[in-house]
Amino acid sequence: MRIDLQDVTVRFGPVTAVDNVSLGIEPGEIHALLGENGAGKSTLMNALFGLVTPASGTIRLDGKARRWASPQDAIAHGLGMVHQHFMLQEEMTVLENIVLCAEPVGRFGFVDFARARSRLDEIAKTHGVAIDLDRRVGRLSVGERQAVEILKVLYREAEVLILDEPTAVLTPQEKDRLFATLKSFREAGKAIVLITHKLDEVMEIADRVSVMRAGRLVASSPLAETSKDEIARGIVGGDLPAARTRKALSPGETVLAVDHLTVARRGRDVGPVSFDLRAGEIVGIAGVSGNGQAELIRALTGLEPVRSGSITLCGNEIQKLDVEARRQGGMSYIPEDRQRMGLALRASVSENANAGRDDAGAFTAGPFLKHGAMAQYARSLIERYRIRVAGPRASASTMSGGNKQKLVVGRELSRNTPLVIAENPTWGVDIGAIDFIHGELMRMRDAGHAILLVSTELDEVIALSDRILVMYDGAIAGEVDGGEASRDRVGALMTSRAADALGAASPGAAA
Amino acid sequence: MIAFDAGKATRSALPWLFTFLWIAAIILALLLFVGAPVGEALSGFWNGAFGGRRNAYLMATLSRSALIVGMALSVMLSFRAGLFNIGGEGQLVAGGLVAALVAVLMPGPPLLVLVVAILAAMLAGALWALLAGVLQLFMGVPLLVGSLLLNYPIRYIASYLVAHPYRDVQSGMVQSHLVPQETWFAYFPGTRLDIGILFTAVAAAFALIYSYRTVHGYHTRLNGLSPDFARTVGLPVRRLTLQTLALSGAIAGMVGAIAVFGIHHRYIDGMLVQPLYAWTGIIAVLLVGMVPWAVPISGFFFAAVQTGAAGIERAAGVPKEIALVVQAVIILFVASRVSGALTASRGDGDGHV
Repeated sequence: MRIDLQDVTVRFGPVTAVDNVSLGIEPGEIHALLGENGAGKSTLMNALFGLVTPASGTIRLDGKARRWASPQDAIAHGLGMVHQHFMLQEEMTVLENIVLCAEPVGRFGFVDFARARSRLDEIAKTHGVAIDLDRRVGRLSVGERQAVEILKVLYREAEVLILDEPTAVLTPQEKDRLFATLKSFREAGKAIVLITHKLDEVMEIADRVSVMRAGRLVASSPLAETSKDEIARGIVGGDLPAARTRKALSPGETVLAVDHLTVARRGRDVGPVSFDLRAGEIVGIAGVSGNGQAELIRALTGLEPVRSGSITLCGNEIQKLDVEARRQGGMSYIPEDRQRMGLALRASVSENANAGRDDAGAFTAGPFLKHGAMAQYARSLIERYRIRVAGPRASASTMSGGNKQKLVVGRELSRNTPLVIAENPTWGVDIGAIDFIHGELMRMRDAGHAILLVSTELDEVIALSDRILVMYDGAIAGEVDGGEASRDRVGALMTSRAADALGAASPGAAA
Repeated sequence: MIAFDAGKATRSALPWLFTFLWIAAIILALLLFVGAPVGEALSGFWNGAFGGRRNAYLMATLSRSALIVGMALSVMLSFRAGLFNIGGEGQLVAGGLVAALVAVLMPGPPLLVLVVAILAAMLAGALWALLAGVLQLFMGVPLLVGSLLLNYPIRYIASYLVAHPYRDVQSGMVQSHLVPQETWFAYFPGTRLDIGILFTAVAAAFALIYSYRTVHGYHTRLNGLSPDFARTVGLPVRRLTLQTLALSGAIAGMVGAIAVFGIHHRYIDGMLVQPLYAWTGIIAVLLVGMVPWAVPISGFFFAAVQTGAAGIERAAGVPKEIALVVQAVIILFVASRVSGALTASRGDGDGHV
């Protein structure tokens, strides 16, 4: 199916999110749509998908003008969208999620799960997307959840597939599998729109590239007619920042010492994990998601009790303390899930900025709040971290993903604690914001803070870390030096081929 | 410019007009169905809510709204903190019972008795609410279930106490003795409205200031909006939970005391349960989407509809059941309009920084 967007404009109140964009999407083509967060990519696709109503412009499917009453309408006409934030019911099984709202009805009005099952088996065979249909979605990893979303779209026989940053949360292996699936869609003549931030992936898979900036389409051409540099310039509207240089630092005192830590987990416990983190270094924890990193972090931050072992922060054992006490003891935490843990979306920017602040005296008078002081503090974060938002009073939900993340990062880093734990700190944010956040983490390191960077993004870990610990199956499979040279070794450890890589898989085994 | 404003006003007024037309049509149909005189019924409704000789019915509405608004405030504090404490009824009964018993049993100067009784009522309500919190935090009983179930034991404890040990046997009713007359709330001069509504007004002022201006209110609100976020930034979630429940319970307990000293002057079995004060309070809060400033208005609206429905019954001889249906129709239509409008205009953090 061929899609033509013509002069589409979308406005949110006074803000023009998409400004007069015309774009064609061809069948049998992978069309990459790039741009910074807030550039209007997602909004444009939401307009195509019927989630927002354009103020003007037309959408044509195979030459016929369409106006969606709702996303269901768009789905019925062969459009499918996989959102960046998955839309799944955690309490239901994979199968139930997939058939939801498109249930095959049996003879007596019951859901004919057997028929759904056989169709899904067929889809799985054709496109190589396989997943256990009877597992509860709440127990799946992020990569598996995405597979469910894709199956959901395929099950509805979509001819056009829109993926909003599908690789943001995937491991290299999962990404390869996704790309193989996308290629098989392309061969089947489906049209695919890939919203992404990652240039390498665009170069790898796209047939056509369109770049948006500030709501406008700034470039659209076949991949062959453009270059990586040209695309990157289009995205940021100028030249790219220079590559980061690392200041040589000899690490200082031990800030965080983890000794034989174990954490309860369904199936097998995580751990024992032991490692040290010293002032002035960034230690990266790499690994495929679901290998115990989440549990480790929850135990370090106090969100989950430890089973055994000890955690020492700045010389004090903290494994029995609650979150508040640990934070006051010198810990900041940038959580992976900014929507749920990093921010209270329905609260204002100011309310979010002032939460968990140590200097309570600065914005309170006895039991009362000083709204003015809170707003002023929020404004200082907005300026300091270049957050694009209407102001302190705006709801946190009005910000784009990258700006939300900058607010979380800003709030946590400005506490200036000896230890910073950053969990996938650039998950789904644009190039500009990634660069900014990485710069801030490096600045903290250079200023003598200890940073624990847990990321499933291998590039990120390699670019930032002084040392890299690789987690596999709940334990540390090995330790290697940071830097580009280690990429193969880290990759090997991530997939448990530790023996090939190092010959020894004990924690602390130097590379 | 003027034309534009007029157009805007019409647009926002139009849905309301339709709402009222619907209400009017359904009520008309109901009244014709039971053969009641329509004009009398409508004036009876208005009179029953806001009129009466020397505004007696308006005073009845205000007196009732003192209790409903009080309960609504209690519920609002819990709900905004993300705590689904639907045990307001139990906390209310605990407060009323303790207030009456303290006043009956305690010797001493009336003013002291009154003060102690009200404080004891607040303490009782707080403890009863805390019980639900403890059940959740330490036994894993969801608050929604625990708080609801705790309504029953206290109701029957109260029934037992006023049916047996502390019963006013001479009266022939299941009720306690009268509290000393000197402790009764005074009436506003020239009316039959007691000063209990002042307590509710103070509670409302407290709840508004608490919600918008205090650190504790800010923290509990964050917990209400996102418990994961509250935990992650290190807010003492358990402590906040217990404190908020205690606060909620204390207000409910105070409302129980208002009912005793202002209206009934004793504890009568079922006096706080049958009028559904607590449940009406919950609906009043949900109607306005937990927006604090709107809660007192909402509570007053519910009280007015209830007393107005009683007015129809009196004035036009409409059966009580039909009067209740009329009441339900009004609430349903207005509720759907109001909550739709309020949820649409939210999303800016309740308009507060």
